[in-house]
Amino acid sequence: MFKTLNLFNVIYDEETLKKIDFLKSIRLFEGIKKRDLIHILENLQERTYLKGETVFTQGDIGRALFIVFSGKIALSRQDQETEKSGVIAEVQPGEFFGEMALLEEMPRTATASALEETRVFMLFKIKLESLLFARPRIGVVISTQLAKIMSARLRTYIEK
Amino acid sequence: MTEIAAARRNYREFIIPALIVLAFAYLLLLAKGAVFPFILSAALAYILNPIVKHFEVRGIKRIYAVIGLYLTFGALLFTVLYLLFHFLSFELESLQQSWPVYAGRIQDVVLNLNSRLVRNYPFLAGLKLTEKLGHILELMPQLLLALIPALTLSFVVPFITFFILLGGSSLIDYLLDHVPSKHAEIILHIASRIDASLGNYLRGILTEALIIFLIAFTGLVIMDLNYSAFIAILIGISSLVPYAGAFLGAVISSIVAWFQFGAMLPIIKILVFFTGIRFLDDWFLQPYIMKRAVKLNPAIVLFALLAGWELGGIWGVIFAIPVTCIIKEIIQIAVELQETEFRWKPKAEPTRISIPYT
Repeated sequence: MFKTLNLFNVIYDEETLKKIDFLKSIRLFEGIKKRDLIHILENLQERTYLKGETVFTQGDIGRALFIVFSGKIALSRQDQETEKSGVIAEVQPGEFFGEMALLEEMPRTATASALEETRVFMLFKIKLESLLFARPRIGVVISTQLAKIMSARLRTYIEK
Repeated sequence: MTEIAAARRNYREFIIPALIVLAFAYLLLLAKGAVFPFILSAALAYILNPIVKHFEVRGIKRIYAVIGLYLTFGALLFTVLYLLFHFLSFELESLQQSWPVYAGRIQDVVLNLNSRLVRNYPFLAGLKLTEKLGHILELMPQLLLALIPALTLSFVVPFITFFILLGGSSLIDYLLDHVPSKHAEIILHIASRIDASLGNYLRGILTEALIIFLIAFTGLVIMDLNYSAFIAILIGISSLVPYAGAFLGAVISSIVAWFQFGAMLPIIKILVFFTGIRFLDDWFLQPYIMKRAVKLNPAIVLFALLAGWELGGIWGVIFAIPVTCIIKEIIQIAVELQETEFRWKPKAEPTRISIPYT
């Protein structure tokens, strides 16, 4: 019995299993079965940003959604008229930002920079599109979640 | 002034990376003979990587995934090679024995044709067709033997590939982690687009070649044609070049059938069979297997193949299509970037809806 468990530990990579568990906690992937999350993990790109590094700048064309795995990201926006910049949000592990890039290739509405060493997962529009066509079951869930999140953000904006 | 200073600073930050790249390129140029197996291995690792990744994202450590892949492929290859050698050794032996007879018969046919042509058009005598053909036929076995050094690659390449697969994308990840952060998104966007189209094309075309090989082999064995394994391998390999597989198969099989049976009916059967393969490829394999691969115009494919031959011989031909895929994708991305980043086109207007959120 112990030998079998030991063999399991030798063959299996805990880091990957941890990443799948992490994806399960992301709101965008809510309702996707664990075995389907594997296909999402296959399509994610990882990158580490050092403290102070810019992830993207306001006005850049967006091409990916970012999920914070560890660390912290600050989102800041520059006012067009006063040209003053201010932090509008801080993104913690398990949260994501830049989802507009998944819907349309339009300029980013804020600047994102790392407040500390931050590991992110990027989901590129092109990867999401191939996932939507190859695995519609996952695609439907992500599209629905994305619509719900956009709606919730819009409601918050209006009620402010 | 400050802008000029900033531009100078910008240039300066690229000096060290540029020097490293140049030194590396010079080193590669000096050792170009040794580089080739590495390029082949990298290409093979790129093709096999999705299989390893398939197991890796399911939690299996990369090293065990790679070992498992090698053991499975090894066992498969051993079985296939055993079966092929079983057919091929017998076929090559009989080809060796019957080659002089075949060569003689081909020469007779050409001699007859040539003498008739020369009688009608005397200027053709200057071309010395018969002597040239005799020379080619004498050289044929030597040409086949010349392929043997390529076999050493078949031992070196899997060895190097194993270590590239073990390393995985660590080198690429290292490079991506060290590109300027503000450019990371666009660089990864370009990399994923090239990966998507090239990967789909390569995996698609290899699957297609394997299916065509299996169909051709089965069909030719059923038709009881000599050297069916040998011809099927040629068809499989030539299928990597679009349109070449079925055409080459039809021509070679018809010639062999003519010598073997000496009648028209088997040739007609073979032609029908290969026409069937061509349609199957066009109607079922291509739309299904290649649906997500980059689309290349046949004229561009032909140009790429000729340019590949001119630049690097047979290996140039093999790498011509993947390189063309990369170039096409890069051109497309460059045009799109010009339109979006450098504003060749007016900025896209966001969709606006007049009815408010309710």
